[in-house]
Amino acid sequence: MHILRRAAYLSTLAVLFILIDSRPAYGYIDPSTGSYFLQILLAGILGALFALKVYWRKLKGAVSRMFSKGDNSQNDTSG
Amino acid sequence: MTHPVEYNPGSFRDPCGFIFKRNGRLFRQINKIYEENYRLLIDSGLYRKLTDEGLLISHEEVADDSGVTDQAFKVIQPEPVEFISYPYEFCFSQLKDAALTTLAIQETALNHGMILKDASAYNIQFHHGKPVFIDTLSFDKYTDGQIWIAYRQFCQHFLAPLALMSHVDTRIGHLQQIYIDGLPLDLTSRLLPAKTKLSFSLLTHIHLHARSQKRYSGKQLKVPSHNRKMTLRALLGLIDSLKSAVTNLRWKMTSTEWGDYYDNTNYSRTSFEQKKKLVEMFITKASPGTVFDIGANMGEFSRVASDMGISTVSFDIDPVAVEKNYRLVRSRNEKHILPLVLDLTNPTPGRGWQNTERSSFIDRGPADTVMALALIHHLAISNNLPFEKIAGFLSGIVKEFLIIEFVPKEDSQVQRLLTSREDIFDRYDKEMFEKTFSNYFNIVESSAVSGSERTLYLMKKNDR
Repeated sequence: MHILRRAAYLSTLAVLFILIDSRPAYGYIDPSTGSYFLQILLAGILGALFALKVYWRKLKGAVSRMFSKGDNSQNDTSG
Repeated sequence: MTHPVEYNPGSFRDPCGFIFKRNGRLFRQINKIYEENYRLLIDSGLYRKLTDEGLLISHEEVADDSGVTDQAFKVIQPEPVEFISYPYEFCFSQLKDAALTTLAIQETALNHGMILKDASAYNIQFHHGKPVFIDTLSFDKYTDGQIWIAYRQFCQHFLAPLALMSHVDTRIGHLQQIYIDGLPLDLTSRLLPAKTKLSFSLLTHIHLHARSQKRYSGKQLKVPSHNRKMTLRALLGLIDSLKSAVTNLRWKMTSTEWGDYYDNTNYSRTSFEQKKKLVEMFITKASPGTVFDIGANMGEFSRVASDMGISTVSFDIDPVAVEKNYRLVRSRNEKHILPLVLDLTNPTPGRGWQNTERSSFIDRGPADTVMALALIHHLAISNNLPFEKIAGFLSGIVKEFLIIEFVPKEDSQVQRLLTSREDIFDRYDKEMFEKTFSNYFNIVESSAVSGSERTLYLMKKNDR
């Protein structure tokens, strides 16, 4: 995850200066135009990072379940 | 008989409804424009989920109430919060918990097809020892592709002060009192040390955010382009990133003059326990519903009251003491004590629109009983406050009883205060203390604190 973070950091720096115009959403508080654009800018990076994180968690969960199953079966056989 | 309506001076920005009081009870009017969202909040199961988890304040719908304006759709009665407090009175961990609570609510809302339309730190109150969201009207239907409109507000109200408290100085939390809509991000970016740019989350949500705001400040917008949207995954990614930003901010505690106060008094353990027993006896006699413990340090004596189930606010000037006090509340899961940062010589003023949007400390009183233990010498000697001023102030925040400790000049703590300054306090003695306080209070009982020169008083406010 550390490499991912570093990659995200560098890519964010790279796209800083290519913020693209769009429109703000509406509501009773002002989202501020700059905050709106930053979210659009970050959307791709944070969305991808989040997907990877979820995938990573699932993978870790699956692996640990596999091993814990192995432990249980050992216990079962010893019992 | 119709009771007069008292509008809440801090509830006017959101056109979806407002808070009011009638006959001493708190209500919230929901306007017709919020009807669809309110129904979704209930029907989607979001309200149930959030209240079950203690994240959102619960409410009762008031039957046969047509509201106070013709815009009303419904009137609800929220569960009352013991004491309203503000982010500039929170210690670091309180603000951090408030931020994480807001993000947890946002995640849950997104999973139910709704989204938080604001992320104000003022929407979080401490209730039964835990942070709870109090604005039932903050939930809007989530539309596919929308951004988080409250992203700026979250960064200004939570991330910016937490980052500054963590990386610069915890006292910067007081800046929130000046900037009522959260700390400006350009100011935060300038105050934070350069090393924070190496943190991905602080780089993006503070430094780049500030630059982006500056870049687009005052710019005319082009025709809406509908192709630029934020997917739900990206939105969840944004919330996750903010969550890790907040989680990673920590306060490295250093010892202060007051931090180890209990190890530094002239009390023996026996005297300390005897003083606790005296306090307990006086509280039992006063039998209050609410207590303010002012100058509470880590809340050792506040707990004498709160352990009896009395709603107790434990104020101290020192953020370290308040932080330690709050950590105890969390670790012991205490429900009746609220630690807050307060400088008694400059208590929280009224803030915001007409100076009434956020109430002053005094306006949030009085408490049935006020405790002022080992405090008088700090006010009278360190702050040159005459007894008359102290008694007058205390009388304003006491409804019935005052439990106060007199610390004479011979006491080592007073001597310590006098080592670095000239003793100009020839009228600082027990006789003058009793005489002056008798102008505002009747002394019900007094008792010497064993092993010291100090005296503890139970006083009842008189009808001047």
